[in-house]
Amino acid sequence: MPDAVAAARPRRWEGLDRAAPIWVLAAAALALLILLPLGWLAYMSVRSDTGVTLAHYARVLGDPPLQKALWNTLVLALWSGLVALAIGAPMAWLTARTDLPGRRAIQHLVMASFVTPPFLGAFAWVMLAGPNAGHLNRLYRELTGAVDPLVNIFSMPGLIFVVAIYTFPYVYIMIANTLGLIASDLEDAASILGAGRFQVARTITLPMVLPAILSGFILAVLQALALFGSPAILALPAGFHTVTTQLWAFFQYPPRVELAAAFSIPLLLATALLLLVQKRLLGRRGYAAVGGKGAQRRAIRLGRWRYPALAACLLVLAAAVFLPYGILLKAAFSRAWAQPLTAENFTLENWSFTFLYSTTQSAIVNTIELGVLTACVGAALATLLAYVTNRRLIVGHQVLAFLVVAPVVIPGVVLAVALFVAYTRPPFLLYGTLWILFLAYLTKELPVGYSQSDATLRGIHPELEEAGRILGAGRFRVLRQITAPLARSGIIATWCFVFIGVIRELSASIILFTPNTKVMSVVIFDLKEEGQFGAIAVLGIFMLVMTFVTVVVMQGLLGRDVMGGRQAGGAG
Amino acid sequence: MPGITITGLTKRFGPVGAVMGLDLTVRPGELVALLGPSGCGKTTTLRLVAGFLAPEAGEIRVGERVLSSPAVVIPPERRRMAMIFQSYALWPHMTVAHNVAYGLRFAGVGRADRDRRVDEMLRAVQLGGYGARYPGELSGGQQQRVAVARALVVEPEILLLDEPLSNLDASLREEMRFEIRRLHERFAITTLYVTHDQAEAMVISDRVAVLRDGRVAQVGTPEELFERPRSRFVAEFVGKTNLVDAVADGAGAVTRGDLHLRVAADGTAPRTPPGSPVVVSIRPHRIALGAPAAPGADVTVLAGTVVRASYLGDAVDYQVTIDGSDVVLRVSGSAPARSRPGDRVVLTVPAAACVLLPAADAPAG
Repeated sequence: MPDAVAAARPRRWEGLDRAAPIWVLAAAALALLILLPLGWLAYMSVRSDTGVTLAHYARVLGDPPLQKALWNTLVLALWSGLVALAIGAPMAWLTARTDLPGRRAIQHLVMASFVTPPFLGAFAWVMLAGPNAGHLNRLYRELTGAVDPLVNIFSMPGLIFVVAIYTFPYVYIMIANTLGLIASDLEDAASILGAGRFQVARTITLPMVLPAILSGFILAVLQALALFGSPAILALPAGFHTVTTQLWAFFQYPPRVELAAAFSIPLLLATALLLLVQKRLLGRRGYAAVGGKGAQRRAIRLGRWRYPALAACLLVLAAAVFLPYGILLKAAFSRAWAQPLTAENFTLENWSFTFLYSTTQSAIVNTIELGVLTACVGAALATLLAYVTNRRLIVGHQVLAFLVVAPVVIPGVVLAVALFVAYTRPPFLLYGTLWILFLAYLTKELPVGYSQSDATLRGIHPELEEAGRILGAGRFRVLRQITAPLARSGIIATWCFVFIGVIRELSASIILFTPNTKVMSVVIFDLKEEGQFGAIAVLGIFMLVMTFVTVVVMQGLLGRDVMGGRQAGGAG
Repeated sequence: MPGITITGLTKRFGPVGAVMGLDLTVRPGELVALLGPSGCGKTTTLRLVAGFLAPEAGEIRVGERVLSSPAVVIPPERRRMAMIFQSYALWPHMTVAHNVAYGLRFAGVGRADRDRRVDEMLRAVQLGGYGARYPGELSGGQQQRVAVARALVVEPEILLLDEPLSNLDASLREEMRFEIRRLHERFAITTLYVTHDQAEAMVISDRVAVLRDGRVAQVGTPEELFERPRSRFVAEFVGKTNLVDAVADGAGAVTRGDLHLRVAADGTAPRTPPGSPVVVSIRPHRIALGAPAAPGADVTVLAGTVVRASYLGDAVDYQVTIDGSDVVLRVSGSAPARSRPGDRVVLTVPAAACVLLPAADAPAG
């Protein structure tokens, strides 16, 4: 190449991606956010004054009460997973494939159950089925004249029940989405070859839905494993611990951080393992992709089973939504929640108390501040990271894509333990400030935010950006003038997802709060100790209203049910 | 108006080599098509030229500027190029006029001048008065024209097109071929055009580079490629042809068993010592049905039997087995069909129609 010598060679800086520092910064922030606490957690669990030790593990695994807590968690998770499956699978089939009356309404009510903070449900059920004052038990006594209560919610079966009615939506969503994607022609193809109705169900429909069933079950089990609120409200009065409540107990005075760290690891491993199994179940064969949009589906006729099926669905929804919401409303307007709502029992004091009392006031302000801050930073970070991984902007983008969803396997309580360890010492002294809560929420909500942003960016063809680049717009300008406007509704939806997640968060907050940094969920938990059920109800309703408003905004933006199946890109 | 010089360009995706030491020169103002089957590296080459990808080896120059080398890749926005994408990539949130005007923002064109140029360009692509519409409100062909206008209005040094017509239906595609050629003749921008459609490449291009396995198998005018392919791959890929494996006799003929074919002895044929294996490519329309007016040294007369005659409307496609051999030749005759399967026919094959090729395609490059 003799003439190549004469050619004008560009200097090295001319080829640099001027936006590269931003990508690298986002990646570094992510790595710090996740690796620092988890590293400290692992280190803390083996630390001793003399060096590395397994003594903490030996203690937590050898201690009979702690073994019992592990066993309780296992029982709770498996049984509530099974109950959730037993409720969610038939309901999904009924609403997705049959002529059940009021299918849309039922879907929306399942959604309501999905976004209800489980600890609020647990409170409501204390008021409904507490052994003495619980409404259902009193009704039972009045009707039968019996002395003993009908049900006692402060028990393992009671706990399993309350956990299951708020985790069954996970099963429901997985199965309903998959069923919605199976075109009737797949079943018709089997029928035309001579398969009877039962054979079609057994050989075609069921195998196609099976991964969704299993994976919904695993999701439900995972939720139950990680829950703190419901066990704390129902199991502690009943005199037993689960892993999450035990981890919380380690932080009561005097804190035993090493034990908490060591006790976190089994829970962390269990969730990681379960998610791995779930991913593999869904990853094999493109089940969810079958049919796709436009698949023709016929509603199966239920005949005389229509109304019994509807009644069964309503019963579930009564337990998850109608009764709890009803009792919360009643308690919010009553002087004494256990008494009938008569004129002299009616009051607005709960409301004035809640909104004027300085602790609740500051908790509401803290919650909204944290919600807005985390949602803004979370949506920005999630979108940036999704952009980097989608467009493969830096070396190691695959590692980023893994790291950003890694917090899914970290139960809130475990995350809190890890953050506590990481941020109570230099160089990051954040304990006692709102910032540690912010970091907890940001970490916890990143996977959800990332998935939403990822789906949005996938919907934006890279050529739309390349067309801008080749005409002279730099990476930033393209991001601002082309990508951002196209992704706008998707990014706002990400914001909403994060916001909803933050305002209801309890399991990490309960370990990381200090008297000056209480949030709404923590105050609700405290008020329970004081027996302030009216104020709890008011705060709970306030939280629910904020949640529902956000959901409605989000649904309007995405033009679809938030829980409704295909992750369509947000772009028009 | 600069040209493009590509030397030794190499790009791998993981272990898969997409472009393997590709050399190509596009002269100033010339339109060169990159033609090849899917996976031949043509789109990768285009994206390397655009600067969306970084080469592992080799370099890309425009005029005397080195734009891509393993050391430095000038980003796309500083290459003074324009590109038309397979998906058109029109921005759905901007009007047609805004789409077209976008590139002018970075070219230092004033607002008034910008509006005038957008207007002129929209008229040039026959979309005058469509400026206020959104891309979603246009038909596929109109969207295509907007994409063309957006690329041309900035008066780029280099224009890149990535299978721009593959999303159009057949009649519109044919119309747009001539449209693109007309615009090229008007603006004379150095252009690289990727397509897998050989008819499209032939209509549009000044020269065609046939790509195979990440290398240029042959580059030339459409006529050169069609009349004088230099490899079996190019002969087969560009137009229909008969390929006969044979042995050179060193005396202006090749043999396959009892079959003897006189071949052209022009300078483009590979040197073929007697006894060496060769391939002969004969285009179906160059074979005449019937005996020659005057037999001579410059034709071969073959006898055979028609095994199939397919009526194609404007022509008839015959398959003829040649007596005393296993060779089946496709012959293009005029419609209506004069022979039917089973008929005995005589074929005249001019020596000039027989192109000698190496028996095996050496890996190109």
